[in-house]
Amino acid sequence: MRGLYTVFRFELTGMLKSKAFKVSTIVVCLMLIIGLSIPSIINVFSSKENDIFGEGTVGEEAQQAYGYINKNNAVPNIEDLKSSFTLGRLIEFNSEEKLKESILSGEIEAGFIIESPTEYKYMVKNNEMIDSKVSFFREALAKAYRIYELGEMGISYPDVEHIIYPNIQQDTVILGKDSARNYIYTYILIFIIYFVIVVYGQMIATSVASEKSNRAMELLITSTDSSNLIFGKVLGTALAGAIQVGIVLIVAMISYRLNAGSWGNRLDFIFDIPLDVILIFSVFGILGYVFYAFIFGALGALVSRTEDVSSSATSITIIFVAVFLMSFYSMYNIESILLKVLSFVPFSSFIAMFIRVSMGTVHIVEVLVSLVILVLSTILVGMFASRIYRLGTLMYGNPVKLSRAIRLMREK
Amino acid sequence: MKIELRDIYKSFSEKEVLHGISFSVETGKALGLLGRNGAGKTTTIRIIMGLFNADSGEILLDGRKFRPKDHKIGYLPEERGLYPKKKVLEQLVYLGQLRGFTRKEAKESALYWLERLGVEEYKNSRLETLSKGNQQKVQIAQTFLCDPDIVILDEPFSGLDPVNAQILKDIIRELIGKNKLLIFSSHQMGYVEEFCEEIALIDKGKIVLTGNLRNIKREYGMNRLAISSASIPLEDLRNILNNSLSHIIRVVEKKKNFLVIELINNNTKDELLKALSDLELDIERFTVYEPTLEDIFVMKVGES
Repeated sequence: MRGLYTVFRFELTGMLKSKAFKVSTIVVCLMLIIGLSIPSIINVFSSKENDIFGEGTVGEEAQQAYGYINKNNAVPNIEDLKSSFTLGRLIEFNSEEKLKESILSGEIEAGFIIESPTEYKYMVKNNEMIDSKVSFFREALAKAYRIYELGEMGISYPDVEHIIYPNIQQDTVILGKDSARNYIYTYILIFIIYFVIVVYGQMIATSVASEKSNRAMELLITSTDSSNLIFGKVLGTALAGAIQVGIVLIVAMISYRLNAGSWGNRLDFIFDIPLDVILIFSVFGILGYVFYAFIFGALGALVSRTEDVSSSATSITIIFVAVFLMSFYSMYNIESILLKVLSFVPFSSFIAMFIRVSMGTVHIVEVLVSLVILVLSTILVGMFASRIYRLGTLMYGNPVKLSRAIRLMREK
Repeated sequence: MKIELRDIYKSFSEKEVLHGISFSVETGKALGLLGRNGAGKTTTIRIIMGLFNADSGEILLDGRKFRPKDHKIGYLPEERGLYPKKKVLEQLVYLGQLRGFTRKEAKESALYWLERLGVEEYKNSRLETLSKGNQQKVQIAQTFLCDPDIVILDEPFSGLDPVNAQILKDIIRELIGKNKLLIFSSHQMGYVEEFCEEIALIDKGKIVLTGNLRNIKREYGMNRLAISSASIPLEDLRNILNNSLSHIIRVVEKKKNFLVIELINNNTKDELLKALSDLELDIERFTVYEPTLEDIFVMKVGES
């Protein structure tokens, strides 16, 4: 146990002291602090307090001017058209020439030549791929037409408007969990697990391979048990990763809490993560991470040079990405059989069970069964990795395939 | 304490590399494990260290199964290496702790050895920033870190300059004086002759010669004599001997200042002496030849 603790401590402190760890943690935290403080910063410089999300945002565009020519008074109720056009001010022009000139000089944004109540020509300097100005004008022209024609029939438009666009109220009573609401934080958390496993997994594999390539391995393995070395390394690195994720999450939460007012509590749905979800995330996330870390560690021991690590880790990376994508697409249908199966397979349960708990309702027994399977498989994988590690440590030269390593292990 | 290897066999990928290695070594007597490159020295050492399992055979310590993890062993592997990016003291303390020292003990011992080897000033430098010679010294420091009872050095002098080699020699002498059990492999005979009472000569995975070095030398020198003449050059002397005395002796080789000859057909030194005086060769040197270890080595494995 003492040997295990020594390795664990050495790996953990080595990781925490490394420049890469410090820099990446600080950069991510700073980005979160600054990103989440933007509304507050804007508020300091803005005269309208707490209104950056209000109507003010279109204020600038409201000042923009558009020209129109009402040919032969095609639209008799031109004031209705003007008031319905919410994109900017509409200025009347008398000739197409003048309209053209004003558009080209940039004085006005664009021009509309109204031929009849339902027909117009759009004139613009540079046509953009997606031009929303036209739809604003078309909607305004249609409304003016409706008002005029209904008026001719003696019907008041506002009365009809209520009938055509009734204000329908909806209340939803959610008995389980609100997938739509939980979607974002579930999404963010599984992405975090994904990145941590990919990044730290590679790091563990590289670290094992580098101990082989710089020949420290022979001394290590004659100084303590190989299981101490791999367990200590995996657990030490795992804790470093957990600490990094923890710091980032806490910084994000605190930054948001301090700025929640400025955000008008608009991001509460991301940051108000229920405790049980955080708990499941931590337990399943860390176990899944350790599960994969052992595999990455064993694969690192099968190569002699750090350059060969990525090719050796290809197979497990493919499995991991496949599992991730399957679970990820199951988020749209959390009651699917696929997700249920995935939530018990140790390769995927740490993501799949987390998704089910976070976005749906899962019986506690199911969670516990999945947890037990994951714990047992992690221990088994750890023992397996320790043997592969011991076998691979003194095999220098070309990378050894996992299948060959298993065959060699059986022979012994 | 006595370590005994009995009939060790080892194969890699169905190719047998050790074919029944046996030798023994006791405390206070250094054993030199000799052999050409690829003879099987490092594999034998790795089996003693428990890095490889032997296919068959056993290793005993005072008659009981030897378990390396139960003993304090100082091991200098052939493949030198530590963590290039870690600080010198930090990694020595780590290795010391792995071998059972407390942090404090490991630090004290590491500082002692760094100072003794004259590299204390680099204790807080990253290993990769040190010169090659100083990195070697750090390697040596890790070997003796835990006050080992058994010391196994695989090619300890390779890559050392004369000054560093002298430092290591002093340490080895001290260890022998302290009654430690020492095994060291080398293909540099000079060092082995300097320290080792016992040798085991491996060739192509087999022990071809083992035992007390002095006895071996005596045995190998038994029928050999050194001869030279004051007036006849060695090459001419060789021709004369070959032509005139081929029924009594065989010329084995030409050394710098004398010829090594071997008595054959049960002839004695007296008979040879008589025959030589008849030839009137102006003999300058006529003495029993004690072979160097190198001679024995070449004799045993050179021709193969």
